[in-house]
Amino acid sequence: MLMVFLQQALNGIILGCIYALIALGLSLIFGILEVANFAHGEFYMLGAFMALFSMSGLGVSFFPALLIAMIGMGIIGAIIERAVFRPIVGKPLINSMLLSFGLSTALANLALLLFGADPQKIESGLADYHLRFFGLHLTAERLMVLVVGVALVTLLAWFIQSTRTGKAMRAVSQDRVAAQLAGINVSRIYTVTFAISGALAAAAGTMVGAMFFVSPEMGFSVTLKCFIIIALGGFGKIRGVIVAAVMIGLAESLGGGFISYAYKDAYPFLLLVLLFMLKPQGLTGGSGR
Amino acid sequence: MNGRMTGAKWLAGLAGAALLCAVPRFFSLDYYLHMFVMSEIYAVLAMSLALIVGFSGQVSMGHAAFYGVGAYASALISLKSGLPFWVTIWCAGAVAGLLSFVIGKMVLRLRGHFLAITTAFFGVLVTLILNNWIELTNGPMGVPGIPRPSPISLPGLTLSFETRADYYYLGLVFVGLVAFLLYRLVNSRIGNALIAIRENEELARSIGVDAMAYKVFAFTLGGALAGMAGSFYAHYILFISPVTFTIAESINLLVMIIFGGMTTLFGPVFGAVALTLLPEFLRMAGSLRLVIYGVALVIFIIWLPLGVWGTIKSKWMERRG
Repeated sequence: MLMVFLQQALNGIILGCIYALIALGLSLIFGILEVANFAHGEFYMLGAFMALFSMSGLGVSFFPALLIAMIGMGIIGAIIERAVFRPIVGKPLINSMLLSFGLSTALANLALLLFGADPQKIESGLADYHLRFFGLHLTAERLMVLVVGVALVTLLAWFIQSTRTGKAMRAVSQDRVAAQLAGINVSRIYTVTFAISGALAAAAGTMVGAMFFVSPEMGFSVTLKCFIIIALGGFGKIRGVIVAAVMIGLAESLGGGFISYAYKDAYPFLLLVLLFMLKPQGLTGGSGR
Repeated sequence: MNGRMTGAKWLAGLAGAALLCAVPRFFSLDYYLHMFVMSEIYAVLAMSLALIVGFSGQVSMGHAAFYGVGAYASALISLKSGLPFWVTIWCAGAVAGLLSFVIGKMVLRLRGHFLAITTAFFGVLVTLILNNWIELTNGPMGVPGIPRPSPISLPGLTLSFETRADYYYLGLVFVGLVAFLLYRLVNSRIGNALIAIRENEELARSIGVDAMAYKVFAFTLGGALAGMAGSFYAHYILFISPVTFTIAESINLLVMIIFGGMTTLFGPVFGAVALTLLPEFLRMAGSLRLVIYGVALVIFIIWLPLGVWGTIKSKWMERRG
């Protein structure tokens, strides 16, 4: 029983890594542009397809495909920011909610049309290697998710903390006007934010495609979960988002394993509603508007 | 809103009503009538959501849950107890209203995106329960064999509900009554209080408006009306299943009220009718249909953020000064 618990917990943490990558991008967009991107799950889906096709079309192996997907979705993310989100920055939140919902519908159905509905698998070539320790079981693929996930999150944290662009991003999220007055090119920061978020989502999508499947409708439920994560973690807080992502991963994995699998999708929400009721300030404190 | 209706407005209203009543004469194909009946159901849903989102400013992403609960309540009560639709539609309103009262009490102290996500949670939860409480709801297989409304005969007119035209007329009455109720409501003191809460809740409270009570009232009434719309849907389609009442439907309703403009009453009706008919016209685009729909939504929100009707109204107000 204890072993099953630990195994489920380990799976939950790996799931949490994936969620963290997607939710961090969503949280950056929310913090810096103050728009809600309901099409974020579609970035993740498109990234996965991009990796799939660069492997089957260009014949590259898994890790170069991951890189191609990240760069490709970074560029698409930047284009989408310029063309779609730029005109509604500063408008009420419900505008961006519905706009991005339209974008999500368009992208998901375009993918359905172009790529078909059948789930496809990305062959990472790592699934055949197994690790066993203390009676726990881990495929090399899942270990790779853990390593790549932690590496990307660390890289992001360093980027935001230490580089000029990262500092400018933080400045814009704190006070857009003051940042502009200080000579920061806010327009460029917006584009960079979307590019980074797109790339992170693509990485997550590619890794999920290797562990499970790639399909056009994989995006929407993930979007909802990531909104829960950024609400749990406190909007715009990296550490809070990571903690919340792992919590949600654990809740899903342990709840699905021990309570009832049928209600698996409700546990993240339940966690969130409990938090709102008990501690309206969010996990890490701050403004609980 | 000017309170008194002038003679010209009465005349225009009568002409409009006559035109609406004549619709089944011109579009006798079942397919068209079905689209019109669905437009009526969506018109009620959109108005009930506009009361919550547009007039009170509380973004709800779980409205389809009340629609679904009303549909299931009405269908199950009429199947198990044999009560006619004319009774069960009120039961549906009561059950959905009670549920939205309880949920509203819990969630309405939250604001903005917190409220949106929490209401989305209840929406997802209701779908999950409809899918998994198989003894009661028959799960994903849905509830078949829901009885039609029992025939009614008025002087000079008999509705047997064997044809879609009969449902169309009943729906017209339903939409008219709900529109009248909400029109009176939003132009009353209650409506003023709701709008004050939407514009600035702190200020409204500072002048003695019990914001929580008004918000819960709007949420409850909106939920109850959605439940009654659900009952109408159940006894019209005669089969219900959980896939009709998912979060995608909640978002669809939000899109309708945004499209029409949610701070008026006619806006949501316009949005509901337009967005029920538009995807059907787009059927000729085949599998590109939903892609076009999504792109249209994006373009629309960029260019007409007040909604079609809201934009027309504000332009008109501008010209009148």
